[in-house]
Amino acid sequence: MSHIHIDVENLNFSYENGTPVLKNLSFRASENDSVGIIGANGAGKSTFLKLLVGLNLNFTGSIRIEEIPLEKKTLAKIREKIGYVFQDSDSQLFMTTVGEDVAFAPRNYGLPEEEVEKRVQEALEKVHITHLRDKSIFKLSGGEKKLASLATILSMTPDMILLDEPSVALDPKNRRNLIHVLNEFEHLKLIASHDLDFIWDTCNRVVLVNHGEIIADGSPEEILRDGELLDANGLEKPLSLTGR
Amino acid sequence: MSKIGQAISEIQSLETISKEDRRVNRIHPLSKLILTVFYIAVTVSFHKYDLPGLIGMAVYPAAVFMIADLSFREALRRLRVVLPLVMVMGILNPFFDRKIVLMVGALPVSGGVLSMLTLMIKAVLTVLAGYLFIATTPIEEICRALRIIHIPKTFVVVVLLIYRYITVLLSEARRITQAYQLRAPGQKGVHYKVWGSLVGQMLLRSMDRANDIYDSMQLRGFDGDLRTGEKKALTPLDFLWPLLWGAVIVLLRIFPVVELLGGLFV
Ligand SMILES: Nc1ncnc2c1ncn2[C@@H]1O[C@H](COP(=O)(O)OP(=O)(O)O)[C@@H](O)[C@H]1O
Ligand SMILES: [Mg+2]
Repeated sequence: MSHIHIDVENLNFSYENGTPVLKNLSFRASENDSVGIIGANGAGKSTFLKLLVGLNLNFTGSIRIEEIPLEKKTLAKIREKIGYVFQDSDSQLFMTTVGEDVAFAPRNYGLPEEEVEKRVQEALEKVHITHLRDKSIFKLSGGEKKLASLATILSMTPDMILLDEPSVALDPKNRRNLIHVLNEFEHLKLIASHDLDFIWDTCNRVVLVNHGEIIADGSPEEILRDGELLDANGLEKPLSLTGR
Repeated sequence: MSKIGQAISEIQSLETISKEDRRVNRIHPLSKLILTVFYIAVTVSFHKYDLPGLIGMAVYPAAVFMIADLSFREALRRLRVVLPLVMVMGILNPFFDRKIVLMVGALPVSGGVLSMLTLMIKAVLTVLAGYLFIATTPIEEICRALRIIHIPKTFVVVVLLIYRYITVLLSEARRITQAYQLRAPGQKGVHYKVWGSLVGQMLLRSMDRANDIYDSMQLRGFDGDLRTGEKKALTPLDFLWPLLWGAVIVLLRIFPVVELLGGLFV
């Protein structure tokens, strides 16, 4: 049995305006899962990921990350284990160069400078952008920014990564690139997306969310081939499965 | 390019120069900060009629522009908004101080005119010195220097964030005005009736963005202190640079160097 890394029970959440966004959601994911969280716009995917990294603690129910209950005093510890990649890379990157940004997390964790150096190098290698190290953030293309964002997370050597709509605004080449990089990352991944082709290429499990509830949870085969189910939840079958 | 686009690219190009691998850029930020502050303090301290003395002080910016291989013309272009503003400070002096203090050939020069000139020169020199510091020191390094002299970390982080935020704000502004222009073709600028909602939009969006950036920092272990690695060993230049310039500045302040030099040629 592999370890349960994420354990969510009866999660309920609403923003200040009070409309429930997540309803009694229970979910578990273990070490080697690569889970696609799919659902139409507004289904609650992003909100779910944000709750997992403690960006909002006003939920009821429980979230446990590697056995540690998520609460204010465990935040720092939990955030060392989870990497969160923002949908919009411009929100993620804020230092001046790629190298500086990738070094940001290890430095915050107080690692000695040689170790920071090593982490930065390794993270950049993992996403194949060592050549961009000294490049200014604002000179990167969209695809490069996405890979750089991922590197800023990998330098923390997280046990799991969460990605919000990673394929948005990527051209086909960068998209293939990202799929490749993600498939090389062996730990737990949660990928929120309504790009089902992307999910098909990166995930071994799919969770379908609608109106803050889990509608289905199974293998990509089961769920992504079920045109009726997808249709009923505002999604479209992946192009690669439509048999064209 | 739109005005906003221009502003963004100017900030960015300044950032690029500050990161280039030049000798002056590599000098310890604190050395440069102290030197800059000292230079500004001395420049400001010149007497209001001491025009030749002030002209001598131009040696420092002139030399640094050359040593750092920075374009003076670029600098003037970047400072085109600031310079006229600081220069108007003394504009009323000629009306208040009409006493004749100097004759240039047959032309009488009043104290007011002279003090207006010195004030303008002071302003320009000060701005140039600040520009040179910023153009040769990346923002992270500037923040590091501030931390070393025990400026509270909250303040330093705020400086860094404001700096980042300016770019964020400008990018949002660009996005919104572009969206507006696409839907209001042929309209010059933005119609005044929609200013309010555009500005509101911009603030809201950039607040969201700033919030995200702050989240992103926190998720990566940010605890309020900015750590910028590079604790390179000090080099002799880190000491020599401010000391040598310090000496030159003191000399320029104490001796009427320009007048003495002028004396050599007459
Ligand atoms: N900051 C917020 N404040 C209020 N409501 C929000 C906020 N963010 C998202 N929502 C609402 O929560 C619901 C779920 O949004 P979200 O999690 O972003 O969905 P998804 O990522 O699946 O598109 C939507 O109805 C959205 O309008
Ligand atoms: Mg979303």
